[in-house]
Amino acid sequence: MNKPPERQGLSLVSLDVGSVNTRAQFFDTVEGRYRFLAAGEAPSTAGAPAFDVTVGALEALDQLQSFLGRTLISAQGFRISPENESGVRTNAVTTTFSGGPALKVIVVGLLGEVSLASVNKLVNSSYSRVVESFSLNDRRKPEIIIDAICRTLPDLIVLAGGTNRGASRSVVRLANYLALALKLIPEQERPQVLFVGNEKLQDEIDNLLGSLTTLHRAPNVRPGLDLEYLGRAKQKLAEVYFNIQSAKLGGLKELRELAEGNFSSSAAAFGRVVRFLGTVIDPPKGVLGIDLGASNTSVASAFAGELQLRVYTELGMGSSLGGMTAETHLSQLMRWIPYDLKEDTVLNYLHNKPLIPQTLPTTPEELAIEQAAARQVMRLAIGKSLALFPPSAIYPLPGTVPWFDRILVSGSAVARAPRQEQSLLMILDAIQPVGIATIILDQNNLVGAVGASAEIDPLLAVQVLESNAFMNLGTVISPVGRARGGMLLRIQMVRDGQKEAVLDIKAGGIQVIPLAMGKVADLYVQPMPNVNIGLGPGRGGWVRRVVGGAFGLIIDGRGRPIQVPAGFHQRQEILQTWQNALGGS
Amino acid sequence: MIAPVGYIQPLTTLRRKRTMPVEGVVLVNLGDTVHSGDAVARANLEAKHFILDAGRALGLPPERAKRLILRSVGEQVEDGAIIAGRRGVGARLLRAPAGGTIAAISEGQVLLQVSDDSSLLPARVPGVVIDIEPNRGVTIECVCALAQGVWGNGRLADGFLHAVGTECDQMLTADQIDMSLRGVILFVGGCEQRQALELAAQVPIRGLIVGSLATRLLPIAKTMPYPVVVIEGFGSTPMNSDAFKLFADHNGEQATLNAQPIDPGTWGRPEVIIPIKYEGRPPQPVPMQNFRIGQTVRVLNGPDKARVGELTALLPSSTLYSSGLRAASAEVALENGNITNYPLANLQLLG
Repeated sequence: MNKPPERQGLSLVSLDVGSVNTRAQFFDTVEGRYRFLAAGEAPSTAGAPAFDVTVGALEALDQLQSFLGRTLISAQGFRISPENESGVRTNAVTTTFSGGPALKVIVVGLLGEVSLASVNKLVNSSYSRVVESFSLNDRRKPEIIIDAICRTLPDLIVLAGGTNRGASRSVVRLANYLALALKLIPEQERPQVLFVGNEKLQDEIDNLLGSLTTLHRAPNVRPGLDLEYLGRAKQKLAEVYFNIQSAKLGGLKELRELAEGNFSSSAAAFGRVVRFLGTVIDPPKGVLGIDLGASNTSVASAFAGELQLRVYTELGMGSSLGGMTAETHLSQLMRWIPYDLKEDTVLNYLHNKPLIPQTLPTTPEELAIEQAAARQVMRLAIGKSLALFPPSAIYPLPGTVPWFDRILVSGSAVARAPRQEQSLLMILDAIQPVGIATIILDQNNLVGAVGASAEIDPLLAVQVLESNAFMNLGTVISPVGRARGGMLLRIQMVRDGQKEAVLDIKAGGIQVIPLAMGKVADLYVQPMPNVNIGLGPGRGGWVRRVVGGAFGLIIDGRGRPIQVPAGFHQRQEILQTWQNALGGS
Repeated sequence: MIAPVGYIQPLTTLRRKRTMPVEGVVLVNLGDTVHSGDAVARANLEAKHFILDAGRALGLPPERAKRLILRSVGEQVEDGAIIAGRRGVGARLLRAPAGGTIAAISEGQVLLQVSDDSSLLPARVPGVVIDIEPNRGVTIECVCALAQGVWGNGRLADGFLHAVGTECDQMLTADQIDMSLRGVILFVGGCEQRQALELAAQVPIRGLIVGSLATRLLPIAKTMPYPVVVIEGFGSTPMNSDAFKLFADHNGEQATLNAQPIDPGTWGRPEVIIPIKYEGRPPQPVPMQNFRIGQTVRVLNGPDKARVGELTALLPSSTLYSSGLRAASAEVALENGNITNYPLANLQLLG
C-alpha cells in the first residue's frame, strides 16, 4: 500500500504566558497530520524580580529545545527563525497571555439594563475588573463618576450609550463628565477610553476626549435597542488590553513581535476552541469549557456556534483563591476532603496559597485541599455563568447547567491531578452535568496554543483536538429526577453489532461500563418514569455512536445537586466509594 | 530554573521609589534625610466635586454658555461666588454651591473641587532622597538590614526591636505582654491568641513581626493600630531561622516596620528595615538568579514550611511525592541535619 504524501504544514511554536507558568509548546506534522510534540515550562516572570515576561519565555523555550534536542531560538537573540543555524523549520509562532494584574475598568452607559449591560458583558469577557459602573438612570449624582475615576485611577473607561439612531445629547453629556475627570489626572496616568456607543457621535466624542487621552473606537455594542453586537468591540478591547499591559509589563511587545502579531489573550484563544467545538454539536445542546487558572477562571459556552465567554478575575487557584474563600462557607469545601483535617488547617492552606501560588501540594492532605478548592472555584464560576446559558437550551432539571454535549476542562489543578479519576471527579463534582456529555481534559495545557493557531491554520486546531493530546475521559450519562425504588434507568450497549446484557442502574452512585478509548458503541437507554436523561421525564431511546474514553461510559447516578454527608466518617466512605467506582484506590 | 527570591539581607543598599498616583507637591529636596513617617509629597486623593452646568443654569446652549463663564481653572472661589452669567439686575447667574477650586472646565460645564484635604505620602523608608520626580515623588536610599514579609496590615511605624523569647518557634501569648513593652517592635515566632494582639494594642507596642499568624486572627490584625508584618504566612509556622537571627542580631536597635500589603501592580512587599551606619554603599539585593547548588533556600509549604537549608543538588529527573505529583526537584540539606527533596516550585531563594 502506498504511503500518503506527507503534508507540508506548519511547524509551530506556541508561547503561553500565564500568571504562574510560561509554556513553550511545539507542533509539527507527523505522517501528514499535525501533532503536539513537546513542551517546555518555566515560572512566569512578569513580576518581581525579573519584571520581564521574555525571561520566563526564553527559559521555557530553552527547556523545549532540550526536550526536542534541536535549536529553535536564533543565535541573534530573541527570535525564532524559520531557517536557523541548525536548519529546524519553525515557520509560525503564536503567543497567548493571561499574566499580569487584571485591568481596572470603569464602565459608563446610558441605561443600566441596555448599554451598560452590554458593556459589562464586553468587559467581563476579558481579564478586567469593573471597579465602578455608572449610567444616567443611576440614582447617584454624576459627580460620583468623577470622584470614582480620580479615586480608583482605572486603566480604562468604556463608554457606551445610544443606539445608532438614538440618544446623542445624553451620551455627549456623559463624555463631558469623563473629560472633566480626565483633566484632573496627570497625562501619563490618565485612563484610556474605549467608545462603543452611538456611531454618529464618534467625531464629537473624538473632539471631547481625543486630545485628553488615548481614545479607541469600536462599533456600537447596541446599534438597536434589541440588538447587541459585541464582536468588533471585543477585538478592539483585546488590542486595548495589549496596549495597556505592554506599557506596564516588560517584554510583552517583544513577544508579540516574535509571534508576528499572532498574539491573543488566553481567554480569547480558549473561547475560540469552545466555539469551534460548538459548531459540530447539534443545537439545542451546547459545549462548555472551563479554564481554571491561577489568577482567573474562564467559562466559555457555545450553542449553535454562538460563543459566550466570561472571565472571572476574582476566581482562581493561586493569587485569586481569596475570591473563592470569601464567597464560600468552609463546610462547602470540607465536604470534598476525605481526610479528618481541622478547619484551621484548611483555612491556613487556603490563605497561604495566594501568597505562594506557584507551590505544589506534596502531601495527600494538601492535594485534597487543592482539589476541593478547584471544585469550589469551578462550581462558583459555573453558578455565576448560569445566566449566560440560553433559555432555549435543554434543562432536564431547573437550576442546573443545561445539557452540554461536550465539556472541555483546562487548568493545571485539574489536568495535573496525579490520577485521572481525580480529574474526572473534580469535573463531575464541580459542574454536575446533566444529559449525556463527553468530558475532554486538556491534559497538556494546550488549549491556548490550539485556539491561537486556529487563526493561522484551522487544520492544526482540528487535528490536535482530535489527537490524544487532549484526553477523552469518557461519556457521562447523568440522569436526574426522583427514582422510584432506587432504580434510575436500564441501559443496553450494542458493540460491533452485538447486543450486550441489559444493565439496571441504581441511584446514588457512579457506575462505569467499559468502552475502550476510541471504540464506538450504540446505547439504548430507558429511564424510569420521572427520571430524565435530557430527552424528557421517562423518555429514552437510542444514543448513537458513543465514543469510549479513558473511563469508558460513566453513569453518574448521584442526582443533582450532589449530596455529601456532613459527618466525617460517612463523607470519607462515600467519597471513597465514588473514587473506587472509577477504579481509584 | 529562575528562583523566586525573598530578601533577608544583613547588609544592603535599599532603594525605594515613592510616588503619588496623581500630581501633587514634592515636599523634600534632593539629599534630604527623611524618617519613615516623614511626608515626602502631598496631593489631593479624596477630592469631592460639583459639576456646575452653566448652560442649564443660564438657559443657554453650551456654546453660548461657555462664553459667560467668569472663572478659570485653578481659581479659588467662595461659597456663593458667581461662576457664570451676565452682571445686571434680573440676570440669571450660576453661583458656587460651596467654597472650593475650579478644577476643570469643559463644554459649558465647570468642575468645582470642594474639599482640599491633602493626602500625605510617607517615606516609609528611612534614608536619603537620591532622586525627585517633579510633582510626583522621590526615590529614597538606605543602607540597612532588610527582611521581607508576605503579609502586612498596611500600617507603618518606627521602634526598637524587642525579642519575645529566644527561639524562632515561640508563640506570643497575652501573659508575655506588659507595660515594659511600650514603644517597641516585638518579634516572635507566631501568634495564635486574639488576646495577645489586643493587649499589645493597649500597651501600646509600636509594631509586631511574626513568623506566622493564625488565619482566624487576620481580621483582628487588620484593625490593630500598630503595624503587623507576617514573615512566613498563616498558621502556626515558626519564623525562618535566618530572619529570626537577623532580628536577634539587632535586638534593641531602631527599625522601621513598613507593613504595606503586597501590591500586585508594583510587587511592593511588607518590609522590616533596620538602618545601619556604614561607610560606603554595600551591594543592592541581587535581582534575579537561577537555582544553583550552594544557595540558601527556604521551604515555602508542606510540613517543613519555613525551614532553611542549603541546596545540595538539582535532581536530574522529576521526583515523586506522597501526593502522587511528580515535579522537578532539588535536594536540600536542612539546618537540622535532614537532607530532603523538594519541588523547585516549593523553594525560595533567600537573597
